[in-house]
Amino acid sequence: MSKFSTLIFISGLSFLLIVITAQLPIAHPPMLIGQYIIDHAVQDTGVTNIVTSVVLAYRGLDTLGELAILFTAASGVGLLLSNKLNTKLQPSTKTVRLSNSNFIIEHALNLLFPLLLVVGFYVIFHGHLTPGGGFQGGVIIASAFFLNILAKPYKSSDSEIESTHNNLTIIESLSGVTFIAIGLYALISGHDFLEPFLSHGQLGSLWSAGTLPFLYIAVGLKVGAELSSLLITLYDIDSEELTD
Amino acid sequence: MKMLSLLVVLPLIGAFLIPAIARISVSIAKFIGPLILLYLLSITMPAFMELQSGQSSAIHFAGFLPPYGIAFYIDELSLLFANIILIAFLMVWPWNKNNFSDNHSEIREYSLYLLLLAASSGLVLSSDLFNLYVFYELLAVASYGLIAKQPKIEGIASAASFRYLLLSASGSVLLLLGIALIYSLTGTLNIAHLSSVANESLNTFAGVAAFLLILIGIGVKAEMFPVNSWVPEVYGVISRPLSALFAGLISKIAVLFIAKVLLMVYQQDSILTMILFIGVLGVLTGELIAYRARDMVRMLSFSSIAQLGLVFTALAIPGKTGLYIAVAFMLHHLVVKSALFFLSEKMHSNHEHLKGLYHQSPFIVILFIFLILSLLGIPPFPGFWIKLNLVLNLSTITYGNVAIAIVLLATVIEAAYLFTLVKKMLANDESNKQIAYQTGYQSSYLFAVLLAIILLVSTFNISSLSKSIENMANNTN
Repeated sequence: MSKFSTLIFISGLSFLLIVITAQLPIAHPPMLIGQYIIDHAVQDTGVTNIVTSVVLAYRGLDTLGELAILFTAASGVGLLLSNKLNTKLQPSTKTVRLSNSNFIIEHALNLLFPLLLVVGFYVIFHGHLTPGGGFQGGVIIASAFFLNILAKPYKSSDSEIESTHNNLTIIESLSGVTFIAIGLYALISGHDFLEPFLSHGQLGSLWSAGTLPFLYIAVGLKVGAELSSLLITLYDIDSEELTD
Repeated sequence: MKMLSLLVVLPLIGAFLIPAIARISVSIAKFIGPLILLYLLSITMPAFMELQSGQSSAIHFAGFLPPYGIAFYIDELSLLFANIILIAFLMVWPWNKNNFSDNHSEIREYSLYLLLLAASSGLVLSSDLFNLYVFYELLAVASYGLIAKQPKIEGIASAASFRYLLLSASGSVLLLLGIALIYSLTGTLNIAHLSSVANESLNTFAGVAAFLLILIGIGVKAEMFPVNSWVPEVYGVISRPLSALFAGLISKIAVLFIAKVLLMVYQQDSILTMILFIGVLGVLTGELIAYRARDMVRMLSFSSIAQLGLVFTALAIPGKTGLYIAVAFMLHHLVVKSALFFLSEKMHSNHEHLKGLYHQSPFIVILFIFLILSLLGIPPFPGFWIKLNLVLNLSTITYGNVAIAIVLLATVIEAAYLFTLVKKMLANDESNKQIAYQTGYQSSYLFAVLLAIILLVSTFNISSLSKSIENMANNTN
């Protein structure tokens, strides 16, 4: 019965959505704000990637909110998993970790790791010039660290994980604070919160667009650290339960 | 005025900093939250006092004027709620923590409270649809964390919180869909700007559907009729102060979101009628299930659903009058229901075990009776005047008479179960004396008394109070 009602609900909802989307002005959207931003973004913010001007300038507060949501999700998961750990396992019961991975994987990793970091940071630093930016670059950096754990699970001892976790928490926290501090500096010096300052510089050069690249670096570091520490938390639980 | 943007920014910076500071010193990290709350209160209190009646202003972000940038809209109503949020968080702040074995979880919990605070303030102040969505999502994610970490969670209880997560997450998706629809129909997100284009572009089938999606999405948090099944389950497993926060404050913030969209953008007859139906059904179902409840928390949860239904019914009255009554209901319910949840920490949760409570602790029972009399709407308490106003104004709208009949019937049901409970408390039952009275936190008891005093004072100042709320509603735009 419940499956049947779910089916009715889903088909009703999809029918509704199809009818609604058929009415939308597809390909001729009303461009009240969009047109303004397309016309003014380059001279307002000095970026060549207009998406960045929306993400960091026009709707900077939303980006701060998204960062906070990611942070909240990570703390929530940490809170749940740490509770589970406390009740379930004592650290002393752990003996063996996962087995060694083979030669090829390890060396491929050694090759990939620096490359991934370079690509990640490139994407972050050029967020105001080319497609990409803090969120995307941050994920690439996190994936570099996670590959490391996947390929060499046996190499990281408990104390190593603990200190990595500590460092990640501090990076995470400081990058979030940096983002807000840049915004607060504008507020204190009499402008609006998050108002871009510094000169726009030469359009298209790396050193341009005022404070926006700095905001993106903070976003990138925060996203990277957040995801890495989330993955490490999950990994930590898994490997401990395997020894049970 | 610009400093009011700190209401969102400072809790966020605090939440980010707490985990790092806790690595250095846990005791410093503990004081960050209360300090931020007190500092923010010292900004908003004077701002609220100084704000002249009818005056309003906007805070811009990133130096772009609305509708191109995001703006916070400051008027009496939003500032009042900003103050209430800060005071409520001071009350429910986890001062006495003894259910945590390690500092890690405790620190994370402080962060989550601050994030919830930032999201609530943002929801009250912001006037940009997508920005509101971001804060709503932040509120939702922070509340998953807080609910799921409750120590009582196991078995059925964790299933309850998982169901809440599913319901709330699908609500968020529908909300986002609704906002996306509005944006693709109008090309703008600023609510004030939307109200100027609503008549031509949102008066269509797709426009109404967008509002429905938003209503259902937000309705999850606002305890609205079809999507409120999480309420009794979740309130059953979380701590009572946290229930007071969710039932008292968070639900009202969600209703304010709906009121903003409804009043500014969607003053259409068909939508108002729909809101009326949803509200009346909420009142009826809430009271009927509360009548069957044999457990204090369940009863309070369902009565909370019914009260929120009354707020929706009030919103169905067109224009500023509806907003005035809805705001009065919200403030009244915020005080009374939070007080009842705080008070319930002193009582046994099973109704049968409450027999003879009066002989154990007469003051608690007197306080309880006082609160429910106002909740029911017995003269001369504030609840009566609000309900009277609602009934008088409902008679002027379509289907209003049906709504009046149902609201009055629901009041009778509510009176029946509340007075049965009171009768049990007054009964002279020797055997139950010891278990009826529970030793909860003294602070909760204190807050219940404080809220009851606020209610008592407002009973004597009812005319001046109603006038100022009416002015507040009239000056909102």
